[in-house]
Formats: sequence, structure tokens, C-alpha cells
Amino acid sequence: MATLVNGQVRVESQLDATLLQAMGMTEEELAHRKEFLQFDQPDEQNLASISDLAESYADPVIDAFYRHLLSHPESRRFFEDSRVLEHVKRMQRRYFLRLTQGHYDMAYVQDRLNIGAVHERIGLPIKTYLGAYAFYLRLVAQRLSEAFQAKPERAMEIFLSLKKLVYLDMGLAIDTYMFSRERTIGLQQEAIRELSTPVLQVRDRLLILPIIGVIDSSRARQLTVQLLQAIRVNRAKVVVIDITGVAAVDSRVANHLVQTVEATRLMGATSIVTGLSSEVAQTLVTLGVDLGKVFTVGDLQGGIEEAERLLGFRVVADDSGPA
Amino acid sequence: MSVPILKQGPNLIASIQSALSDEDLIRLRDNLAAQVGQYRSKGVVVDVSPLDVMDSFAIRTLRDIAHTTKLRGAHTIVVGIQPEVAFAMVQLGLALEGVATALDLEEALSTLGALPGAA
Repeated sequence: MATLVNGQVRVESQLDATLLQAMGMTEEELAHRKEFLQFDQPDEQNLASISDLAESYADPVIDAFYRHLLSHPESRRFFEDSRVLEHVKRMQRRYFLRLTQGHYDMAYVQDRLNIGAVHERIGLPIKTYLGAYAFYLRLVAQRLSEAFQAKPERAMEIFLSLKKLVYLDMGLAIDTYMFSRERTIGLQQEAIRELSTPVLQVRDRLLILPIIGVIDSSRARQLTVQLLQAIRVNRAKVVVIDITGVAAVDSRVANHLVQTVEATRLMGATSIVTGLSSEVAQTLVTLGVDLGKVFTVGDLQGGIEEAERLLGFRVVADDSGPA
Repeated sequence: MSVPILKQGPNLIASIQSALSDEDLIRLRDNLAAQVGQYRSKGVVVDVSPLDVMDSFAIRTLRDIAHTTKLRGAHTIVVGIQPEVAFAMVQLGLALEGVATALDLEEALSTLGALPGAA
């Protein structure tokens, strides 16, 4: 496969077996898909029967196909480099011939998935992919009806078989699009999570956990475990949990907070929750959430002052300092 | 595997060494209840730091120990609950209500030492 990166043609390594595995594509899954498309033995035979024909019209079809792609700005921008165009044409020819070569097995699936992955990577929109495919099928349909002028029903039969296979291909390609995006989203979520839960020590045995963003079950779990471990490592006695930056607090989030506070208590630490805005406080009261077990203080400053009092610190202004 | 109970001044220290069977836990509860009376102890510390798993029976027994010794006049502190264990307990809804906890033995002893009536 080739993509254009920084003006250079980069040839991708061939078959990516891990992609197949990560996407859960197995023999059974393939059999399932074929069964649903009702793609079976006769279809394979139909396709095999036009293998030689396909060979003979591959070049004109592909030329017409790229003429079409190059005549539209949205698809033209992918082929601005003539070397890329040449390479892609060669790949397209291989792809085209592969349709009628039989053996629609796992190796075939892998090949198709890789094509989808390349399309996704170069940012080819799905609409362009599908639009191009529709054009492609129309070209092939014309060729078939010309070749089988005497037997139009035969042409129709073969075309329907081809269509089933093409839909299998499209399903695979779109799956790779979705898979890549989901993977990106997953990676970003993880990055955001890691960025946003620092546990900070501000005084001996006093930790601060500023929570920013959205709290869901997995994040609540992660930050609780992180906090508990920090309590152990720093021998913390008091923890101030500041939720000023939490976007929305509902009964579920409140429940997570209560659990975090109880867990810190089991570790022998006292928790102070700060930063409940007036809206949040009113919401919680309206919802009837019981935060009776949670020690709350208005803002972070008040929380730290309270924590210092619990720890026996006393902050005294130094008279000799700047006025 | 029974749990050694050490007497330290006015306090008793039960130091759990390894995973305990239900029988061991019951024996620990009975021994502590008996010894609190025998030594007229004011405080009890149960160290659970070697446990990386605690089932509901163990948690309930810890709570029973705290409440029993309370009736016998001693304050119990559970120490050394591991982070993973603490989280699991909270999720199970077994959060040792009404039982004092501390990070470790040192912490617990200083808390007991600060209680009114401590020697």
C-alpha cells in the first residue's frame, strides 16, 4: 500500500496480522458475514468464470475509474503526486483482479482490511470511498452486459455475485474506519485520564486531589486507587478532594465521591471535600443525595486550613515580611 | 494459623500474619474479647496489612471485634488495610461502619495514647 506523507511515497508493510486479531475477525466471523450476504459456492463459480474477462478489461476500467476520480476535487487531492497515482493504479489493478480469483478466505479479508486502513490513514472520507465504488460497479456492469449480450440473465447473475462480494469488501473497509477511530478515541480518553488526576502533597501528611472533568465509574475507580496508593506512600493523614473542576455532579458522581471518601477512611485518612458550588449543592439536595458522611468545606483554601488544623499546623503571618 | 496477640502497656495488638480461615477469625474474636477483660486493656489494634483479600466474613468479624471490645471497655482500631482491599470493601458496601481505622500500628498507638484515660 502507498500513502503520501510529506510529499514522499511511503510503501506500507504488507499484511498486518494484529489488525485482524484486534478487530475480532475470525474464520467464524467471516463465515457469518458470507452467510448473511448469502455468498456461497455458485457465487464463487460465477466470479471465477469471468476471471479471464476481468483480466482483459481491467486496464480500461481502471483508467476510466481514475479519470472519474481525478475530475473531482474531493478525490483528486489524494492523487496529486504522479508517482502515487501510478502506484495506486497498480494496486487497484491487483485489487480488481483479486475480486474474481476465488479463495475468499482470511488472507483475502486481511488484504481488504489493510486497504481500509490505508484509506482511513490518508483521510479518504467514507462518502468518497462509497461514491467511487458505485462508479466502479457501474463500469463493470457495462462491461458485463457488453460481454454477455446474448445472455443478459447470465450477466445479471454474475453481477449480483460480484455485488455480494463487493458489499463484503465494503463492510470490511468501513469496519477498519470505525476501528481506527475507536482506537484513537480510546487512546485519547486514556491520555486525558492520566493527565487529569494528580495527587499532590502540600504539607507533611496532607494530600490534595484536584478533580477536573467528568467522573465516570472507570475514572472514579482509577483516581480512588491512585489516591489510596498515595496515602500509603506519603503516609497521609488528611486528604483534600477538590471538585471545583468537575463539570457536573449528579447522584452517580456523588456516590463515587462517597465511596472514595469511605475508602480513604479505611486507610486511616480523613477526607475533606471542597469546591461544591452553590448549583452543585442545590442539585445534590434536590436529588436527595446523602453526603452526611462526607466532610465538606466551601473552597479549597478553607479545606486546606481545616486540614492544617486537623494536623496541628498553625500558619502565622511573618511580621518582617513584605507588607 | 492462629493470630498472636501481644500486650503492650494498656493495649493489645493482634498482628495477622497470613490469610485466615473462618475458624481462625472466630478464635481471634473470642481471644480478644477474653483478653481485654483479663488485662483490663484500654485499646486494641488489629493489623491486617498482610491481607490482600478480605471476604465479607472477615470484614464482619472485624466489625464484631470492634463492637465486642467496645462493650468490654476497649477502643479498637483496624490498621493497614491495603488500597485494593479498601476499594473492594467500599464497592461491596462493607465499609466497616463505626470502626476506627488508621494507616499503621504507629498511627494507631499514638491515637490510643491520646484518648482520655490513657496511661
